[in-house]
Amino acid sequence: MIKIIGALFIILSTTWAGFEISRHLTERPKQLRWFKSALQSLEAEIMYGHTPLHEAARKLSTQFPKPLSIFFSSFASKLLTVETTVKNAWEASLQEIWKMTSLKQNEYEILAQFGENLGKHDRFTEQKNINLTITHLEREEADAYDRQQRYEKMVKSMGFLSGLLIVILLM
Amino acid sequence: MGIDVDIIFKIAGVGIVVAFLHTILDQVGKKEYAQWVTLFGFIYILFMVASIVSDLFGKIKSVFLFQ
Repeated sequence: MIKIIGALFIILSTTWAGFEISRHLTERPKQLRWFKSALQSLEAEIMYGHTPLHEAARKLSTQFPKPLSIFFSSFASKLLTVETTVKNAWEASLQEIWKMTSLKQNEYEILAQFGENLGKHDRFTEQKNINLTITHLEREEADAYDRQQRYEKMVKSMGFLSGLLIVILLM
Repeated sequence: MGIDVDIIFKIAGVGIVVAFLHTILDQVGKKEYAQWVTLFGFIYILFMVASIVSDLFGKIKSVFLFQ
């Protein structure tokens, strides 16, 4: 009896791990797409709205779902309340939400690089910077999408099957 | 006799699961991992069978050599 319960636990946990990994694989292209459209909105705010950065960030925080909304609202509040530079505020907010995202180190570098040049130049240079970052993110998104297509199903069945294998080996 | 049947089922189970893993890994283009999985499954079963065969040889020895 105990044996069967233990076997069930093993299978459940490995299956759950598989599903968790596959969730990460699904989340990554989605979040990259959100970041991309957030940057596009930011570009529109800067180019056509002439909005100050904290105002634009506050607006963006209402437009996007969970990790990004936290990111932009913390960025906006940091800009308003703490004595800091845009670069530091951007990086600190990025680190705050980083554990919640499914993104990789590459994307962190790209976004941090973007924050480094944010708020330092005139509008047209900002636009160029945003476009460059969007291009980078697009490349990453294509990669993420490819990985999702390839590994999503595999990871799910791998979790279950490896649990089954462990159970059979231990029986 | 009970142990024997148990072990046959175990081998069959390992075989089925390893075959599934092989197919899945093959489909996503991870041929080398698929081959490793199969190889490890094979080695595991080989050890299991080897222990049984050594049992058999021990029995034969005890029957014919009177030890």
